[in-house]
Amino acid sequence: MANIFPRGSNFLPLKIVLCLLVMGGSITAGFVYFFTNKYTHVGYQPTQPVPFPHDVHVKQVGMDCRYCHSFVEVAAHSNVPTTQVCMNCHLQIQKDNPKLEAVRDSWRTGKPIQWVQIHKTPDYAYFNHSAHVNRGVSCVSCHGKIHEMPEVYHAKPLTMAWCLECHRNPEEALRPVKEVTNLDWQPPVKDGQSVAEAQRELGSKLKKDWGINPPDKNCAGCHR
Amino acid sequence: MSKRVFFHPPETEHGKKYWRSVGQLSDSPEFRSWLEREFPQGAAELEGSDVSRRNFLQLMGASMALAGLSFSGCRRPEKHLVPFSRGVEWAIPGKALFFATSMPSSKGGLPLVVATHDGRPTKVDGNVMHPLSKGSSPVLAQSSILDLYDPDRARFFRNSGKQVESSEFESALGELAKGFGDGSGLAFLVEPYESPTRERLVAEIKEKYPKARWISYDPIGPVSAPVYGEGVSALPKFDKAKVILSLDHDFLGTDCAGDFARQFAAQRKPDAKSGMNRLYVAENRFTLTGGMADHRIRVQASQIGAFAIAIAREVLAATKDANLAVALEGAPAASGAFQADWVREAAADLVATKGKSLVLVGPRQPQQVQVIGAALNAALGNLGKTLVGRRSPGAFGTVGIAALAAELAAGQVKALFILGGNPVYNAPADLDWASAQKAFCSDKGGVVVRLSHHEDETSALSTWQVPMAHPLETWGDTRAMDGSYLSVQPMILPLFGGWSELDLLAKIAGHQKPEGPELVQDTFKKVVKPQDFTVAWSKFLHDGFAPKSAGSQEAPVELSLNAALLAGAGKGVPAPLAQDAFEVVLVEDAKVQDGRHANNGWLQELPDPVTKLAWDNAALISPSSAKQLGLENGDLIEVSFQKRSIQIPVFVVPGHADRSLTIPLGYGRSFGGRIGGRGVGFNAYPLLTRETPYLISGASVRRLNRKHPLVVTQEHGAIEGRGADLLREGTISQYKEQPDFAKAMGLDAHAEWAEKNGKKTEVINRSLYSHPPLNDVHQWGMTIDLSTCTGCSSCMVACQAENNIPIVGKEQVGFGREMHWIRTDRYFASENDDVLEPEMIYQPMLCQHCESAPCETVCPVNATVHSEDGLNVMAYNRCIGTRYCANNCPFKVRRFNFFDYNQRKIQDGGLYEWNLLSSKGTEETVKMQKNPNVTVRMRGVMEKCTFCVQRIQEAKVSAKVLAKDSNHFRIPADKFTTACAQACPTEAITFGDISNPESSVSKVRASERGYRLLEYLNVGSRVWYLARIRNPNPKMPDAAKVGAHSKPSHHGGGHHEAKSHHTGGEA
Repeated sequence: MANIFPRGSNFLPLKIVLCLLVMGGSITAGFVYFFTNKYTHVGYQPTQPVPFPHDVHVKQVGMDCRYCHSFVEVAAHSNVPTTQVCMNCHLQIQKDNPKLEAVRDSWRTGKPIQWVQIHKTPDYAYFNHSAHVNRGVSCVSCHGKIHEMPEVYHAKPLTMAWCLECHRNPEEALRPVKEVTNLDWQPPVKDGQSVAEAQRELGSKLKKDWGINPPDKNCAGCHR
Repeated sequence: MSKRVFFHPPETEHGKKYWRSVGQLSDSPEFRSWLEREFPQGAAELEGSDVSRRNFLQLMGASMALAGLSFSGCRRPEKHLVPFSRGVEWAIPGKALFFATSMPSSKGGLPLVVATHDGRPTKVDGNVMHPLSKGSSPVLAQSSILDLYDPDRARFFRNSGKQVESSEFESALGELAKGFGDGSGLAFLVEPYESPTRERLVAEIKEKYPKARWISYDPIGPVSAPVYGEGVSALPKFDKAKVILSLDHDFLGTDCAGDFARQFAAQRKPDAKSGMNRLYVAENRFTLTGGMADHRIRVQASQIGAFAIAIAREVLAATKDANLAVALEGAPAASGAFQADWVREAAADLVATKGKSLVLVGPRQPQQVQVIGAALNAALGNLGKTLVGRRSPGAFGTVGIAALAAELAAGQVKALFILGGNPVYNAPADLDWASAQKAFCSDKGGVVVRLSHHEDETSALSTWQVPMAHPLETWGDTRAMDGSYLSVQPMILPLFGGWSELDLLAKIAGHQKPEGPELVQDTFKKVVKPQDFTVAWSKFLHDGFAPKSAGSQEAPVELSLNAALLAGAGKGVPAPLAQDAFEVVLVEDAKVQDGRHANNGWLQELPDPVTKLAWDNAALISPSSAKQLGLENGDLIEVSFQKRSIQIPVFVVPGHADRSLTIPLGYGRSFGGRIGGRGVGFNAYPLLTRETPYLISGASVRRLNRKHPLVVTQEHGAIEGRGADLLREGTISQYKEQPDFAKAMGLDAHAEWAEKNGKKTEVINRSLYSHPPLNDVHQWGMTIDLSTCTGCSSCMVACQAENNIPIVGKEQVGFGREMHWIRTDRYFASENDDVLEPEMIYQPMLCQHCESAPCETVCPVNATVHSEDGLNVMAYNRCIGTRYCANNCPFKVRRFNFFDYNQRKIQDGGLYEWNLLSSKGTEETVKMQKNPNVTVRMRGVMEKCTFCVQRIQEAKVSAKVLAKDSNHFRIPADKFTTACAQACPTEAITFGDISNPESSVSKVRASERGYRLLEYLNVGSRVWYLARIRNPNPKMPDAAKVGAHSKPSHHGGGHHEAKSHHTGGEA
C-alpha cells in the first residue's frame, strides 16, 4: 500500500510547534510592549526650554491653575500661558534668575517660547477641557499630582481604555465644581469609610444630581 | 423562518414617471450599471491603465521593503506648544471667532459672516441680521473661502514677467504718475460693482486727471441701458408678488446675487397664511427658476421678445393701457408660434392680480424687450408695489470698451490700468483685445498696470502685474442689491502681499497706501454722518451693514417709463429664426461665472445644478434638435457665426428649446491655474462680440466626428426605489383636500402603519435586530421641504467647506467617486416618456440616519454604529474599508476614500495623477481652510454625512459648561444647525432636536406633507421630506400635468407582495 502521507509530513508536528512558538512569542511581545509605560508614555518628561516648577507656583505661591491656563473653562484646548502672563510677575520677581532667560528673551523679541508637548491625544480624538472641569472632573484625574511636580511629566496613560474606565464609572472622579482646581481635595470621610468608599458615595450622588452621562458607547462623543 | 422580499414593481406604464436622465428612460446599460452597483464595474481598479491591482501589489511589496530599512516612523515625534508671546484680543485658542463682512459683486454685495479659527478664516455664511438676505448664502459665497487659499493665486509683483519687489512697483508708479498730466493719456478698465469708497476715490482721480477715461466692463452684465432712467435700478419685491412671470430671468440662479431666494421661498410654502404665489417661466433652457415654475414654456431666447409682445397684446386688450399701446406700435403680427391658450391664460392671471403681479425680463435680453417688460409692469400697476426703484451710482464709465480698444490702437492712451477683470480672455472677440494690448505694450510703448487675483491671460500681456488681495484680506465697503451699505473687513493679512483695488486707487489719487480702515472710515463718515463716530463704526463692523436710515440708498425712488424708449420698442425685438437656423445663447455659468472662479476646485467638482455636469461645460441642446443633427452626449460640434467658430461637445438636456444652443461661458481658460487653467471645458468667448453679446441668431452647427468625455453625475446614486416612491408631489388643491396625501404612497401603502385619530402616523417597526437605546435627551432629526428646494446646491459646497471634503478630479468623478456627503438629486418628471417638456424636481440626498440602519448590521468591525441621540456615527479609525456598508445602504449616500485625496498634490496636467514616486502633501494654504473640528479622512475609510456632529458636540459642551453643577444641560431649541441648513437660501432644510417640541424641526415635522423615504423597508430614517406642492392655474392648458403625482401602482404591474421562501437552516 502506498504511503498516504508524503514524506514531508513527518516534519508537520515540528512545523506546528514552531508556528505556535512564533505566534505565542509575538503575542507576548505585543503585550509586553503595548501595555507598558513605555508605550503609553507614562513618565515621559522631556527637557523644557524653561524648567517650570508647578510645585513652587502652586504649593509655595498658592496660585490657581486658571491664572495661567485661563481658558480651560471655556475652550476645548487648555491654553499654555503667553509670555506676557509669565512677565506679569517676573518683571518684579526673580527678574535676574538665569533659568528665566528664555522667557525674558521671548518678551524682548516677541518670539514665542516653544514648550515641548507632553500630553497629547491623537488627532482623531477630540478631548474637551471645558466639558470636564465645569462638571466636576479635576485636573488631577488626568494629569496626576501636577501641583507637586518640579517639572511636568506624563502621569497617566491617556489611552482610550483608560478614558473609558472613567466614562463608564464617572462617580470615581466627580467632585464639587469649586474643588476642581484644588488638587489636594479629598472627599469628606464618614466614620469607618475608606476614602474610595467616600468618593464613590459622593460621586454617585453628584452623578445623579447633575445628570452626568458621559459618552461611553457613542463614538461621536470623542471621534468626529 | 421566512424572509420578506420586496419586488419592486416596474413603474406604471402610463402616468407620470420620475427620471434622472434620458438614459434611464431608455434603460441604457450605463444606467443599469449605476443603478445596480455602488460603483461601475471595474471602478475598484486603480485609475490609469498601466497599474493593475496585481502589479500594484508588486510595487507595494518593493516599497514596503524599502520602508523597512528605517524605523523612524515608530517613535512619537516631538511636538511643541507655542503660545503667543503677547495675548491677542478676543483670541481663545481653539475657539472660533465670527466676523461680519461682505463680498462685493456686480450683482450686489453679499452680506456675510465669516468663522475664523486661530486667525484663519475657515467658513463663510450669510449674515442673519441683514434684512434682505437673512442669512442665506449662495454657492459662490460658500466657495469664496477656497479662492482665498488658492495656491495658484498671484503671489508676486512682476515687471514684464520678471519678479520684482513691491517697492519697485511703488516707485515706478510714482514715476509714471508724473507723466499723467491732465489724464489725457490715462485709462482705467474696472469691473462694475458698487463701493462708496471706490466711487469717492474715482471722483478724486477724475478731479485730478479730468481727461482720464473710465471703462467699466462685465462680459456677462446686462446688455441694455437702464430702462427706468440713468441711476435708477428696479428691485423686485417677491414678498408682495402673487403672480410672477419670468421672461428668461433666472432670479433664483445666475441673474441675482442670491438674496431674493428666501423672500421668494417664503411665498412658496403651502401653509403660508398669505397663500402660495404662482410662477410662470418662459425660457430656452432649464434654469433653477424654471425648475420652480408652476407653468413653464420653452421659448427660444431670441423669441422671448416676441413672446413678451404676445403677452403684452393680451394685457393691452384687458387694460387698454396707453403706454403699452405705444410700445406695441408696429410690433410684428402674432405668428402663432406660442401656445395661444397658454399666453391668454397667463396674461389673464397677471391682469387679475393687478398690483400684485410681477414681470421680470432677463438682464441679457435686448433693450426693446426690457422696455416691453417695464411697460407691462406699468400697465399692471406693479411699479412701486412689486417693483420698487432705488438709486444706483449709475453709469460708471465714460467710454465703452470698444472705444478704448480703438484708442489703444491709435496711440491716444499712454497708460492703462486694468483693475480686476480679464479682457484678454473675455473682451468681445471682434475687438481682438489680446493683439491690441500686445501691440500697445510693445509698439506704442504704452504701460499696462494689471491688478488681478491670478496671473492670467491678461497678466501675461501686461507691463506690471500686481497681486490682488481677496475681499477677506482687505478693508472696503459695498452695497447690497437693496442698496444697504455693507462693510468689508479683513480676517487675515494678505497671504501673498496683495493690494486691494482701493489701495491702488488711493496711490493714484495721491494718498498713501492705507494701512488700515482709514479710507473706508472717511467714506463712512460722509455716507452715514454718524453722531458718535466710534460707536457707529463699531456697530457697522459688528453688524456688517449700516442701519437703514443711514446713507443706505434704500429709500424708494419712483419708477417711471421713459417715453423715448417706449415708441417702437415692439418693432425692435429680435426676428424669428430662419428655418433650420440655430440660435446660440451665451450664458453665465452657475459655478465659474465669467471664468473668474475657474481655479476653484469645489466649484469645478460641483455638478452643475441643472445638467449635473462636472469639470466641463457643453453646448446644451434639446433632445429633438440633437436627434435632428444626429448628436449624442459628448459629440463634438463646431459652432460658427460670421467666420468665428468654436468646438465644443454637446449635452442633451430635456426641456431645452429646439434649435437653440446654450453655452455657458467661463471655461477653456489658459493660464497657470492647476485646477482650471488648462483642459477644463471649452472657451465660448470667441463667439461673444459687440453685436451679439448674449444671443446669436443664425449660427451654423456642424458635427465633428469626435467625442469628448463628459462627466455627468445625474445617474450616480440612482436608487432602485422608483422615483414615484422617493419623490412625492401634489397641487395646492389636492393638498387642501387631503393634507396627508403623501404619507403612504406606492409600496409604503402596504407597510403596517400605526394610526392615530384615523390617520397614519408611522410604520410599525418590526426589526429582527436589536435596537440601540435611543435614550439621550436630545434626538436629532432633519426635514427637507421639496416645495422650496430650488436645487441651487449651496448645501453641497457648505458641507464641503464645513466637513473637510476633498475634491477628487474629473476622472475620479467619472468613476462615481465624488466625495460629496450631500447631493442634490435632480429628476425630470413627465408622462409618456416625454423628454421635451418635462418638469424638474430636486431632492437633496444625504445620510438618512436610519434608526434601524442597514449599514450598521453589516459592518464587520462595528465602525458604524448608532448613538443614543439618534445619529448613525462613523468611527474612521475602526473602519477597515470593506465597503459592505455602502453596498447595503439603500440611499447610496456613503462615500469611500479610494485614495488619499486629502494628501495628494494637485499636479499640473491633471488632478491626482498617481504613481509611487509622486510627492505627497496638500498645499499649505489649502490646509489652512480645513475645519479643525473635523477629522481629515485618509485613504481606505468610509465616510458620510454626520449631521455635523462637531456642531452637535460643541452645542452639548456649551450647554454643559453653562449647566455646571446643575442638571439643566439640555440644548435650547434651534441653538445651532448643520452647515447645509444654515447655508440653504430658501430654508428648505431644517435641523434640530425632534424630542424638543419647541424646536423648528419638530414643528415642520408635524406637517402632514411629511414622509420618509422607503418607509416600507423599516429603516426608520431621521430625515423627513415634505412633499412638493405646486400651485398651477387650473385654466392653463398644462394644468393637469403640473404637480400631478402618478397614482400609486396599487395592484397593477409587477408583483410586489411579500413573498415567503425558505432559507438555509431548515434544509
